[in-house]
Amino acid sequence: MAKPASSLSMLGNYHAALLGEVERYKLLVESIEDYAIFLLSPEGIIQSWNKGAQKTKGYRAEEIIGKHFSIFYRESDKEARKPQRELELAQQYGRVEDEDWRVRSDGSRFWANVVITALRGPDGALVGFAKVTRDLTERKKHEDALRQSNAVLLQQQRELERLNAAKDEFISLASHQLRTPATIIKQLLGMLKEGFYGEVPEHQLAPLLKAYSSNERQIGIVNDLLRIAQTDSGRLIIVKTPVSVRELLMELTDARAETFAKRRQTLAVDLPATFAESVLADRTHFGMVLDNLIDNASKYTPEGGSIRIGAARDGESAIISVRDTGVGISPEDVGKLYQKFSRIPNALSDKVGGNGLGLYWARKVVSLHKGSISVESRPGKGTTFYVRMPLAGRGSVA
Amino acid sequence: MCGCRLPEGAALLKVLLVEDEEMLRESYYIILTSAVYEVDVAANGKAALAKCKEKHYDLILLDLMMPIMDGTTFLERLPPAYLARTKVIILSNLSSGAELEKAIKLGAQGSLLKATLSPKELLAAVRYEIAA
Repeated sequence: MAKPASSLSMLGNYHAALLGEVERYKLLVESIEDYAIFLLSPEGIIQSWNKGAQKTKGYRAEEIIGKHFSIFYRESDKEARKPQRELELAQQYGRVEDEDWRVRSDGSRFWANVVITALRGPDGALVGFAKVTRDLTERKKHEDALRQSNAVLLQQQRELERLNAAKDEFISLASHQLRTPATIIKQLLGMLKEGFYGEVPEHQLAPLLKAYSSNERQIGIVNDLLRIAQTDSGRLIIVKTPVSVRELLMELTDARAETFAKRRQTLAVDLPATFAESVLADRTHFGMVLDNLIDNASKYTPEGGSIRIGAARDGESAIISVRDTGVGISPEDVGKLYQKFSRIPNALSDKVGGNGLGLYWARKVVSLHKGSISVESRPGKGTTFYVRMPLAGRGSVA
Repeated sequence: MCGCRLPEGAALLKVLLVEDEEMLRESYYIILTSAVYEVDVAANGKAALAKCKEKHYDLILLDLMMPIMDGTTFLERLPPAYLARTKVIILSNLSSGAELEKAIKLGAQGSLLKATLSPKELLAAVRYEIAA
């Protein structure tokens, strides 16, 4: 007798435990506030409700259970049979996820993340759907705000690009306009200086020469500005041909020989006897880059100093070096070297004059050749600039 | 002055200077005539074409950016037979760019940068270009 009673009570206990388990799950689902979790019949009729559902959608259990779940969709979605299609997809693939606007009981909209999962019995027959909905309106608001500010930023960027192009255009136009009168001055002063209007009296020569060199500087600045505007706006045309490094360096140093003699500086081109490489470059512009480095080296080296130019092959590149025994550049100033209009104050910078465009332009042009410029310097000891340039293909080496 | 002497019996080289800027035109005229050149001037491509119809020039110094007719249009309109017997040197302030390239393609044989040349350097460059 004790046994059946015991069995019965065990069954009762088991039953009670099972009921307890179901109750606990029910409680669990019902108490969740952050997610709307509820059951749908295979036809889409709402069969259960939880706190989260009430909070998200605004309906109480007694007013919503028994209604079709399409009540949460906008009219346009209902007309497009969106609720039905979502159930069909869930049935077909097991699950469907959607992010879109849904409607609360008071008619207001919220941005919902919805997952509908098909529920099947042990025999595989569809018994209904589980629907989990999250209110992501806040996140959506942030995303929209972010998207909007991105759009504003993009618009501002375009505006800046437009203004920058207008600035380049202005500089270009202004420089062109300035160059004509500057050129006329140069011609007239040059003619005076070179005696086309008769011998210049001794005491007038000094101011005339000052005017002439000042005008040369003016033309230099105008030309630099024009080149910069042209390069910045992408209008600089680079025509690459194989250029013999040795020939180019000889040509450049010959042209500078007088300047160096005047400054009592020695200029040496120091190439290995076997060095016969050609780089792929626009001869004119690349020549100007190297000339600029050579001129800088001279300008920032005191009288009596020396400038050595070297070249070496490194893999598929040639590295041309311009080494001086000048004032040098401090490590903190090296970073400013290539900035537009940047001039680094040192013992000679007031004397030599310049507009801070040379290296900015040089780096741009070298990078248009897929090359690079680097620098090594010790204040008081000297500076070396290295220009790395791609070699011309073997077949095209002159 | 340049102090050039004309060899006995040698004909003056005939130069046509095409330049729209009056002051530059005058300066270049003085500079070129100081050497052994016979110089005619034109203020634009159209005027230059008219000059070329009248006579043969050994050298044409041609500006590019000019009103009425620019330098490249002048080169396009100049009869090929004429172009073959003369030498055209661009004298402009363009050190590079599409216009200059176009002029070279059209038959100009060299280019000089106005803003970089002193009068004597200009003469030396012209002499060099004629000899080349």
